[in-house]
Order: sequence, then C-alpha cells, then structure tokens
Amino acid sequence: MASRLSLVQGALPVFAALAILLLVWQFGAALLEIPTYILPRPAEIVATAITKSGLLGDALYVTLVEAVAGFLIGAAAGILLAVLMMLAPPVEAVLMPVAIVINAVPSVAFVPLVLLWFGLGMASKIAIGALAVVFVVLLNLLAGLKRPEVEAINLMRSFGAGPLGILFRLRFPAAMPQLVTGLRVGLARSTIAVIVAEMMGAYSGIGQVIYQATGQVDYLTVWAAVFVAMLGSLALYGVLVAIDRKLVWWR
Amino acid sequence: MSDPQADASRSAPLPHLQMVNVWKRFGEGERQTVAVRNVDLSIAPGEFVTLIGPSGCGKSTLFSMIAGLLPPDADGSVLLGGKVQQDGQLLGKVSFMPQKDLLFPWRTVLDNATLALEVEGMPKNKARARAEALFPEFGLKGFERHYPHQLSGGMRQRVALMRTFLFERDLILLDEPFGALDALTRAMMQRWLLDIWAKHRRTVLFITHDIDEAIFLGDKVVVMTARPGTVKCEERITLPRPRDGDIVTTPEFTSIKRKLLAIVEEESMKTFAAAS
Repeated sequence: MASRLSLVQGALPVFAALAILLLVWQFGAALLEIPTYILPRPAEIVATAITKSGLLGDALYVTLVEAVAGFLIGAAAGILLAVLMMLAPPVEAVLMPVAIVINAVPSVAFVPLVLLWFGLGMASKIAIGALAVVFVVLLNLLAGLKRPEVEAINLMRSFGAGPLGILFRLRFPAAMPQLVTGLRVGLARSTIAVIVAEMMGAYSGIGQVIYQATGQVDYLTVWAAVFVAMLGSLALYGVLVAIDRKLVWWR
Repeated sequence: MSDPQADASRSAPLPHLQMVNVWKRFGEGERQTVAVRNVDLSIAPGEFVTLIGPSGCGKSTLFSMIAGLLPPDADGSVLLGGKVQQDGQLLGKVSFMPQKDLLFPWRTVLDNATLALEVEGMPKNKARARAEALFPEFGLKGFERHYPHQLSGGMRQRVALMRTFLFERDLILLDEPFGALDALTRAMMQRWLLDIWAKHRRTVLFITHDIDEAIFLGDKVVVMTARPGTVKCEERITLPRPRDGDIVTTPEFTSIKRKLLAIVEEESMKTFAAAS
C-alpha cells in the first residue's frame, strides 16, 4: 500500500511539470507569433491526436507489442548469457569481445539487414528491439553478478555451497540493483529501436505513421504520433518502476 | 545435557583439530612470501582456544586453511578428528565466522540466520523454526523480520554468530568477531559468548588482537610470532569458570597478562622494525 501511494506521489510532480511545460508552450508560441507549421500549439496537437485516435491507437498498439516482445526476448537472452559467462569463464573470454564489437554499432544500423531477413512485419521490429536490449542487460547483470566480495563468497563456500548455490543465494540477489538498471535502459532502447525500424520499413506502428505523415507534409500528425509515443513509453516505464520495486525490495 | 555420545568424544584421546607442520607460501622464486611457517597446533574437543599475534602475522591465513578455503602447502597437513584433510575437504565441515558480519542486505535477520541451513538443503520452514528457537538466547527476539541495516553493530554481530552456531559443526572458527565493537558492548558480548559456549560445548578457535579478551575467554592462549607466523608459545589458562567480568582485576589474571604482554610486544616490535 505504502509503495503504491509513493508511486502516485512520485508521479505527481512529473504531471505537474508536463502541464506547466504545455501551458508555457501554448501561450509562449502565441505570444511570440511562431507560425503553426513550424511549432504547432499543444491544443492543436491534442485535437489531431483525438481525430486520428483510431489510426494512432492501432499504431501505438503495434509499436508497444513489438517493443515489449523485443524487450522480453532480449532481456531473457541477456540474463541467460550473463549466467553462462559467470559459470563458465571461457565462454566469457570468447563471447565478450564479440558482444562488445556488435554493441559498438548502434543496433539501428542493423535495420536494413534485419528487414531483409525477417520482412516488413512485426518479427523484424521484435528482432531489432531484442538486439537493442540484450547487451545492456548482459553487461549490467554480469557486472552485478561479479560484485560480491571474496569474503562473502568464502563464507558461502565454508557452508559447503557450490557454484550454483553461490549464484542463486548470493550473486543473483546482490546483482538485482544492477539488473534493474539494465532493464530500465533496455526498455528505453527497445522502444527507440522499434520506432526507428518502423520508419525504415513497416506495415504499421508509430514510426511508420511518422514516416508517412512526413511524406505528406502533415506535421500535426507527426507531432500527434510523437505525443502518443511519449505517453506509451511513460506507461511502460511506470510498469517497470513497479516491477523494480518488487525486485529490489530491501532498499 | 549428558548426551552419551558427546561425553565419549570429550574423553577420547584424539585431538579435535590438529595442524602438523603447516606452511603457506605465496608467489614464486624471489617474490615469494611466507605467510605461515611450521605451525603445529592441537585443540582438544570442547576446548576454547584463543589465538593472538601482531597484525599481519598470518592468523587469517591460518583460519582460511582450517576452514578449507585455502589449501596448505604440501609440507604439512590439517587433521580433523584424526583424519588428514585433502584440498577442499574441510569445506562444509567447520563453522566459520569471518571478521565482517557479511549479513545479506536482502534477507531478513531470520533468513540470514538460516543461510547455512538452506545451503545444506534443509526445508525453509524447518530451518526457520530451528533459528527462531535461538532468538531469545541471542538477544534478538522481536527482530526476526528486520533487515540488517536496521540493527546496531552488536546485534549484527550476534546475527552472524547465530548463523555460525546454526551451522552445527563441532569446530567453530571465530575471526575477531568483536573487533569492531565498542568496549562496553564487547565486554557484554564476551560474557554472553562464554554462556553460549558453556551451554553448547563446541570446540572454539577464536582469533583476537586483544590480550584481555584472549585470557578472559580461553582455556588456552596461543601466541603467534610476527610474519612469517608460527606458534611462539601456548599458555594454559587455569582461571576458574564460570568467569565473571571482574576476573580481569584479579592478581592471577594480571600476572598472566603481564607475561603474555611481554611476549606479544616483543613480536610486535619485530613487525615494526621490519616495516621501517
């Protein structure tokens, strides 16, 4: 109960800041006489979002499903790889340089290839989303798993614990804060990667709406799509924060 | 109290723990350092042995070898109950409490206490029930569901001790368990530890750098030399038990202390001279 209350309390300043920003934008743009085609007023954007709510709603649904699916697959792969590397150092020695090289290139650079392999549908976006997540989760979790001090590991050994016992009773709980960081960054990266991938080739999704509206010089729809995407990401982030509190309950 | 098996093991001629010519060297060739050399030590079942020596004399290295965390060099051997222990065989056979309390912040006090039992594979309910019975004795009643960061230093140390006690092994190794506590709390904890020991009668090897503590607690005080550490002398403490806090002011206590102080200071001077 207390944590739900503090979650609402934590969200309040965010909404207040957003409201102030929108008000300043609305009246500032009018006062400075900025043409609407350069910077439309928030009221217009909201109105467009409402009139096109069918199109935008469908697009947001597709984008969120792709982003979440990519996130889940990427996070699972990252966790699996981190555990594998922790238990078998030779695996880390071989795979880590490869991972670092692939990670050095923005995941979005792989979009044309992934579109070629997985087509224009959702599969390609999910693949790109997963690619964007896997390394952040892997690197963060692995760093976390290695964090326990030698003394704590020796204590577990003195109780007769083997590598698996040490992994599950010591390393994993100790790594939770770092895993949570990886998941947060990963979710944001997955959403970004999916939207960019949609702009480069898709049947639906927020990115595709932005791409088509840009082609038609319909900047109000572009703005409306960006607004909707922001709301969607905010909702995802809220869910993740709630999950984080479950994973790192002792703080 | 009069468990026939325990009585039999106490009257047995075999020492509980025996170290025979134990060495530990680190590194190779010119850069080799000797941490522990030629240690011979024998502890009888149920005995409370305290170990003192200048800092850096290899006390903790010695402990790691007894706990099975570090293999001794091939020259010598560690025997438990008369049997030579090969590399790693001691793991899980000795209850070991390191200097830091090492409580896990994500576990409640109760679940920290049951850690060793869980590792052994005991079902959670059973482990918890066993631990809960010890809470009053360890002065932690009512704190079962607290997290470690909510406890004082003395309480955290008691939780760590309870975790060690619940891992029911006949030999307990305590590495300066009260080193970080203030003098008052420390004195209380020492008396309390003697009570617990008198009740449970486990064999205890206790590292300290405090001579008063070593004499107050021990049946036998083992003094180590400066690095590379070896046993310099052993002093049997015949002060009557149970011991009260004011025993430290008796002439008998003072005369033992004077004798040990001279030996320890001589060794400390050597470390000092070597360092400067």
